[in-house]
Amino acid sequence: MLNDNTDPIELKTLQDQFNLGQKGLSGNDTQEFFVNMGPQHPSTHGVLRLVLKMDGENVKKVIPVLGYIHRGIEKMSEYIGARQIVPLTDRMDYLSAMSNNWGISRAVELAMGVETNSRIETIRTLMAELQRMQSHMLWWGVLGLDLGAVTTFFYGFRDREFLTELMEKTTGSRLTMNYIQPGGLMFDIHEDFVKDVKAFLKYFKPKLEEYEILLSGNVILQNRLRGVGVLSSDDALSFSCTGPTLRASGVPLDLRKTEKYGVYDQVEFDVPVGEVGDCWDRYWVRLEEIKQSMHIIEQLIDDIPEGKFTTLKPAKKLKIPAGTTYSQVETPRGSLGTFIQGDGTAIPYRLHFRTPNFNNLWAITKLGPGGKLADLVATLSTLDLVIPDIDR
Amino acid sequence: MGLSEDKPWLISSIDQVVNWSRANSLWPLAFGTSCCAIEMMMATNSSKFDLARFGAEVVRPSPRQADLLIIAGTIVKKMAPRLKTLYEQMPEPRYVIATGACTISGGPFVYNSYSTIRGADEIIPVDVYVPGCPPRPEALLYGILTLQRMIKEGESMAWTGKRKKPVLAALPPAITGDDIYSEMQVLLDEQSEFNVRERAKESTWHTKEYDEK
Repeated sequence: MLNDNTDPIELKTLQDQFNLGQKGLSGNDTQEFFVNMGPQHPSTHGVLRLVLKMDGENVKKVIPVLGYIHRGIEKMSEYIGARQIVPLTDRMDYLSAMSNNWGISRAVELAMGVETNSRIETIRTLMAELQRMQSHMLWWGVLGLDLGAVTTFFYGFRDREFLTELMEKTTGSRLTMNYIQPGGLMFDIHEDFVKDVKAFLKYFKPKLEEYEILLSGNVILQNRLRGVGVLSSDDALSFSCTGPTLRASGVPLDLRKTEKYGVYDQVEFDVPVGEVGDCWDRYWVRLEEIKQSMHIIEQLIDDIPEGKFTTLKPAKKLKIPAGTTYSQVETPRGSLGTFIQGDGTAIPYRLHFRTPNFNNLWAITKLGPGGKLADLVATLSTLDLVIPDIDR
Repeated sequence: MGLSEDKPWLISSIDQVVNWSRANSLWPLAFGTSCCAIEMMMATNSSKFDLARFGAEVVRPSPRQADLLIIAGTIVKKMAPRLKTLYEQMPEPRYVIATGACTISGGPFVYNSYSTIRGADEIIPVDVYVPGCPPRPEALLYGILTLQRMIKEGESMAWTGKRKKPVLAALPPAITGDDIYSEMQVLLDEQSEFNVRERAKESTWHTKEYDEK
């Protein structure tokens, strides 16, 4: 049953929602029961709590319970300036800190009408794509771990470490980078950056084939993923899923193509789209995205334009004019929207993040029921959730 | 506290054996709430920073099987009772490492946040603090080495349950990653029968690219 610490009102609500009777299933000997998956559970990737209504090993109903890592970032943002909000966004979706920084920076730039130069945009694009690869590598390793293949974890983290060190040289930090700022970048790129990225691409291309050999063709993985957790395109749209989760269901929505930010309009890349929308499609789309990111980086790395790395003075106070602005960028997990309302002072009147994981999470209420508990783990893993991004 | 000189010889010998085995078989609990968890995974299980060298790589998902709680990430008010439950479920002797600024003081969320607990030590006792946001894997390894030193020196069956005061495993500003590596090398040389670095070079998976890096 539920935890002893459970709030009685919450318990009553949950029991009402479940319609959990005193008797078992009608005409059956089995008794339906609750299982708490989380908040401390290795395969929920953090402190997500799923209350499951089970009948034996079959999942009947899934209710996500949120708030175990709610830190109040949006409310905090109403007390601090735009430059101070940027490091907080690092801690939302910590696997794609660059994209998050870009989201808030772009919102402030749009609100204030700040122009940036092509060097800034090129470096931003490069960094975001490097981080997309890094994020997908971690996802790939952890997917294997969730399904019982521990070796993939070592492979994913081995290659991820290469990128972490590469970005640390420029940004000075391994995970929470705080690099993309309103009006430009925190620092210029390190002198070794271009050399390192080229060395990484040379190193990683054969490794990606290794990924395919090690895991993709594995018959156990195929059986665990194919036909499991099928999310139709209508459902994906109605849950407002974005990112690889949506694209695996057959909807080719990629903000890099439609939103025209960065220098994505100057490079060629494909948007991989799945057909069925099952776990395997989500797996395949993410692996393809790594290849596309490599393709983008190859086109940009040779000629990074010259110019200043920031267009605003470091000490300039960022006064956000009255009015509302909405900007969205494509993070590795989907579209990150930043809504900012200013009142002419340096502190935003209201700030709201539309985070991709929050909407992607609710697909689990559709995908979980009807399957086995082990399939729920595979589905959760391919949704690629980052819990602090859900709770903020 | 430290090992007292006026303890009987038998007790101090048993202490040494018990503390040695406890310090070298720490089993951490897989508990991560946010960003620090990624660096913790990097430190404990990944191929570069391998915690297995210090006997602490067996990460258990269940608190019943673990004796080291690495609090990796912010603790908020809704999570606090759960953290306490996890701590109480762990068998004695149990140790706690608080990693990251959030679990030490609240970190970036110390001002204006209505839901963050300002430091995990408001809920459970902490043995070692590892600062950083998030701490590098080397820093976490240094924290675990500090904890091992603390266990080896500080515990005795003459006064069960008493601990040393919590320590801050902060790296002094002049210490670099290479210094930590050399300190680890000294520890490994003391405790192993062969030269680990030489042996690693002989192994087949040791590639040329890794050396260049």
